[in-house]
Amino acid sequence: MPDESRPPFQVGAHVPNCLLPNGSYLHDLRGQPVILAFAPDEWNPAQAHQSSIFAHLLHAFDGIAVSDDTMAAWYSLDCQGPVAAQFNITDQRTLLLLDEQGILRWQTAIGPGQEPRAGQILAALEALRPIAPVAAREVPITSGGLSRRTFLAATLATAALLLLAGAAEAAATVTPPKHPASMPATPAVATIPITLTINGETHRLEVEPRVALLDALRENLHLTGTKKGCDHGQCGACTVHLDGQSALSCLTLAVMSEGRQITTIEGLAKGATLHPMQAAFVKHDAFQCGYCTPGQIMAATALVQDKQHRSAAEIREAMSGNLCRCAAYPNIIAAIQETQTA
Amino acid sequence: MHPFNYQRATSPAQAVAAVAPAPSAAFVAGGTSQLDLMKEEVLRPSLLVDVAALPLKTIGALAGGLQLGAGVSNTAAAMHPEVLTRYPVVSEALLAGASTQIRNMASLGGNPLQRTRCPYFRDPAQACNKREPGTGCAALKGINKVHAIFGASAACVATHPSDLAVALAVLDAQVQVVGPAGSRTIAFPDLHRLPGDTPQQDTTLAHGELITSIDLPAFTGRSHYLKVRERASYAFALVSCAVALDMDGKKIKRARVALGGVAHKPWRVPAAEAMLAGKKPSEKLFRAAAEVAFADAKPLEHNAYKIPMGRNLLLRALLETSGLQPLQGPAGTAFAASVGGMGGE
Repeated sequence: MPDESRPPFQVGAHVPNCLLPNGSYLHDLRGQPVILAFAPDEWNPAQAHQSSIFAHLLHAFDGIAVSDDTMAAWYSLDCQGPVAAQFNITDQRTLLLLDEQGILRWQTAIGPGQEPRAGQILAALEALRPIAPVAAREVPITSGGLSRRTFLAATLATAALLLLAGAAEAAATVTPPKHPASMPATPAVATIPITLTINGETHRLEVEPRVALLDALRENLHLTGTKKGCDHGQCGACTVHLDGQSALSCLTLAVMSEGRQITTIEGLAKGATLHPMQAAFVKHDAFQCGYCTPGQIMAATALVQDKQHRSAAEIREAMSGNLCRCAAYPNIIAAIQETQTA
Repeated sequence: MHPFNYQRATSPAQAVAAVAPAPSAAFVAGGTSQLDLMKEEVLRPSLLVDVAALPLKTIGALAGGLQLGAGVSNTAAAMHPEVLTRYPVVSEALLAGASTQIRNMASLGGNPLQRTRCPYFRDPAQACNKREPGTGCAALKGINKVHAIFGASAACVATHPSDLAVALAVLDAQVQVVGPAGSRTIAFPDLHRLPGDTPQQDTTLAHGELITSIDLPAFTGRSHYLKVRERASYAFALVSCAVALDMDGKKIKRARVALGGVAHKPWRVPAAEAMLAGKKPSEKLFRAAAEVAFADAKPLEHNAYKIPMGRNLLLRALLETSGLQPLQGPAGTAFAASVGGMGGE
């Protein structure tokens, strides 16, 4: 909870110096706009796609911030962390924008269960307007006087606001969208504690019933070897073994996977020794980008365990549920053929 | 995906008791088609009752035939030696459908209950009487390439996607169900229905009725499944065909023929079947039967191709089932069932 005796900083105030997670000090960043985004580091896996988009965007912006042509410094921070405590906004999903002088120009927080308001986004753009260009090399891009840097900062801030809104939605009770009267009302859904046996290890977690095994593996258990491709059972990238048979983790509910032996790509190698199928894929160069590879290997290992010798046509037919956008198919077939004769 | 509650059923009766009182509750077994539609928000159940762990996973002898538990996976059924040798049409239909992973997951009870692949049904932004009764049918004047040429209505021109259902339609299969009003037996051809003005209803099952087994009677004749699709593997049928021939010496004693991909349910063709009964197999006879089978087809703007394609497919299926022409692959495999070459060979 925020400290009641210490109100959050007001717009127009100089903000305190603080140590950022990358080891730099906030005051050292003066001379450029700084955006601080506070979000929970725990995400609801049901909204996992949002969290991963968010993480990727933040990562991309962090990259911009350290480049030579810096537009704005961008920091994603834990809203339960020490910087959040210094700003007295603990637990709140918050965006802060500091100008080149280190003055707080704009802040917004999205409470649990709240939807983003258009007004908040407009206010973000409006608040950014007074920031003066600081670098002589910068040329105002419009007659309105917005510098390129400020314009970009505003764009990032408003994009972040929308993403933070998604975070707030994910972390709180979702307001049901309006549907025709014939549609059932959203049930009050409780999370369910489950125990999954993955690669021989027991994992306890608590998930909503709608969480796919794929998302539980990747987002809750950080077993990211299993890939999300289409998320609709069409591409095979998410293939795992359930009780020794290949299955699609995107079309399997985590709650339905209790009591089953789950094997993921992480479970194939024995220490530093690759599984023979993994070794054969390496030997035959059976991939280019590699994204479909964990699914290909899981499907292939399940296929050859009956020790039958299959023709290339039979392998193609059996593997038709695993798509490879790089079309490494001849090499994949070669790897499987070698493994089944070994 | 819309939120829902989840329960694991402890018995078929308990599963029925959990689903029956809640109109928006549903059973889930393999979930392969259902979860996909839930992700699209086409289906929005408030409660899923998981029947996957119920003891419905055995294949056993039954009065000279076979009883296939509703919880048996598509793979296990297709590879079962008794199914492969006595009812190859079932193995061929199963193995020519979906992918290895999906066949491993999907149940026999769930397979015939999968929803249509009509793209307008699967897109909540489109009008669809099956998804939302009263909103109209976007396919009727839309791109109706994969739609019905038999038995459609002004309300719905969707086709049924299951290959297995087409095979079961020629085997006099029976469906055992338990429901809130007790248990009953449904002759397989009566499980699915035509759309009429209530296309939201795919089957004759009442809400809360659960399939517990699919029973195949004794069959000593020849059976075969043949399927045309847009790619060599892992695609739904444009047109498919299941044939079961009981032979009496060199003559056909009884013929059963069902077409897939052409109607809201597996489409039996009684006139063609009657024409074949008591006759000696010949290409001329089969050609005539194929002609009769499609005589009253009513194509839409984009699917008239299904008529010549279907005629040729049925002719070939009859030639192959009767032995006048060899199968394209070993009986009971996807290779026997697939038209157009498999696996790039």
